[in-house]
Amino acid sequence: MSGKVKQITEKSVQAAGICKKYKSFFGRSSTILENISLDIDAGEIFGLLGPNGSGKTTLISIFSTLIYPEAGSLSILGMDARRDRDAIRSRINISTAKPNFPWSLTVKENLRHYGMLYGLHGSALSRTVRDQMDAFELWEFEDHRFEDLSTGLKQRLSLAKAMLNRPRLIFLDEPTTGLDPDISMKTRQLIKRIHEEEGVSVVLSTHYMPEAEMLCDRIAFLRQGRIVALDTPQNLKRHLGLGERICITYQGKADLSVLQSLPGILGLKGENGRAEIEVDRGEESLDGIIKLFAEARITDIAIKEPDLEDVFIELAR
Amino acid sequence: MSWQGEVNRFLASAYKNWIISKRNIFTVFELFFWPMVSLLSIGLLTRFLAVEGSMVSFLLVGAIALTILQVAQIDVAYVLLFDMWSKSIKNTFIAPVRSYHLVFGALLFGILRGSVVFFILVAVSGYLFGFDFLAGGIFPVLAFLAGIFAMAASIGITVCISILTFGQKADVAAWSLSGLILLVSGIYYPVDVLPPLLQALARAIPLTYFLEYYRSIFIPGPHHLMWGAALASFYLISGLILLDRAIERARKTGILLRLSE
Repeated sequence: MSGKVKQITEKSVQAAGICKKYKSFFGRSSTILENISLDIDAGEIFGLLGPNGSGKTTLISIFSTLIYPEAGSLSILGMDARRDRDAIRSRINISTAKPNFPWSLTVKENLRHYGMLYGLHGSALSRTVRDQMDAFELWEFEDHRFEDLSTGLKQRLSLAKAMLNRPRLIFLDEPTTGLDPDISMKTRQLIKRIHEEEGVSVVLSTHYMPEAEMLCDRIAFLRQGRIVALDTPQNLKRHLGLGERICITYQGKADLSVLQSLPGILGLKGENGRAEIEVDRGEESLDGIIKLFAEARITDIAIKEPDLEDVFIELAR
Repeated sequence: MSWQGEVNRFLASAYKNWIISKRNIFTVFELFFWPMVSLLSIGLLTRFLAVEGSMVSFLLVGAIALTILQVAQIDVAYVLLFDMWSKSIKNTFIAPVRSYHLVFGALLFGILRGSVVFFILVAVSGYLFGFDFLAGGIFPVLAFLAGIFAMAASIGITVCISILTFGQKADVAAWSLSGLILLVSGIYYPVDVLPPLLQALARAIPLTYFLEYYRSIFIPGPHHLMWGAALASFYLISGLILLDRAIERARKTGILLRLSE
């Protein structure tokens, strides 16, 4: 037992060569994941990004032992994903996109039911349910049936359920999909708070770039079942050569072709009194760029840092 | 994990089934309407055909057995059906639970509902048709009920295995399998009247032996209670092993994920 606890402090997930195929009734198979290898550190918030159908949900389902891979080795919290599956399941939990629970159970009854499945009992069960109702501000809705809850409340219930067993590792599969922007922001803050206060490792799949940028320490970008990039958000932007964008709106004459000869210019688009210049480092290039507009009147200037949206577009191509 | 925690893993399914049932007005049909329809139609048929006393008991025992079997087996099947219909199956199978937690928890509630139905039916059949369910004492009643509940668990497990193997479309099995039992296990007639092939099938169904045993109180004749008990135990243990395998297979094929979408 102490050996396992020691390992928990090292890696949350160690995956090597994970492959997953689905076979149809007639034996045709389609590859969903191919040769996925990655390590996730304990205490990390790790993001899985990718377009629809890239394999994010399947990968999270494999990591959470809900489904098994065809090939590869997988260790969760230092334990073998197949051999120690019961021990792993008692230490992990999941909250999914479009959360679903038994419809006619109320918020409180759902938490009680899942608490019982995790082996909670007596006063510990009541206390845990109460704590999660407090943490996720669900008291007002304790007697509301699941089928009567709004999408945001369903998501909060799903997060509360995911914390019932005080997991060491939590999987959040598109936790803000379908939520209003303000509820999405609250949900992200909740995730951040869970991570900070409980010290829980988080594996998060999303296709909302601001979410990944706000929450994730590292990101793996999936496309067609393969990892095409894995790094910190900052490094991903840098490695892809995505520079800052200087947008200048001007009146008068400016020879934009000269810009291409300046050092540090990565790209250039210009038309109808507007120039969009992609540069290595905005502040360093700005002076030289402005000089080229000496004969024109600049009416607006903006510098935009690249974000994960740009990374997503670049990698999804 | 303490023993209380382990007990609660069993009780979780009973708790869920109980709440869903008490909130569903159509539970009344499962517990009262259909059982009464079944009992009254058989009871009245015996009057119309002027069936003599012991044969009335023979038919009423069959009607009561089939009704309890249907109520209890659907409760075991509900453990997956409710999760499948609400697309929450993922949340159940991500928890550290095994097939026996789910089956025995749901069966506990099935036994409760089946017992309620049993007492209603024996009370009504005693009042209207003079059926004395305690004619042989309490032990035959308990053995008879135990056999029915064990059979119900096996049918419910078979439904769960079908769902995990074939997906949502297999939920029709929940209502069809008891029809097969009705046909071949001697619910309304002795198995001797069946064609030889179906007789062989009837001999492989534990309920046949429990019916023979309980009816032997009203119409004395040979019975093989121990053989029925052995068969029921064999099916229950095999069913649990096969259900565990079906769950593991569903994790490999990804059907658990598809049932949640």
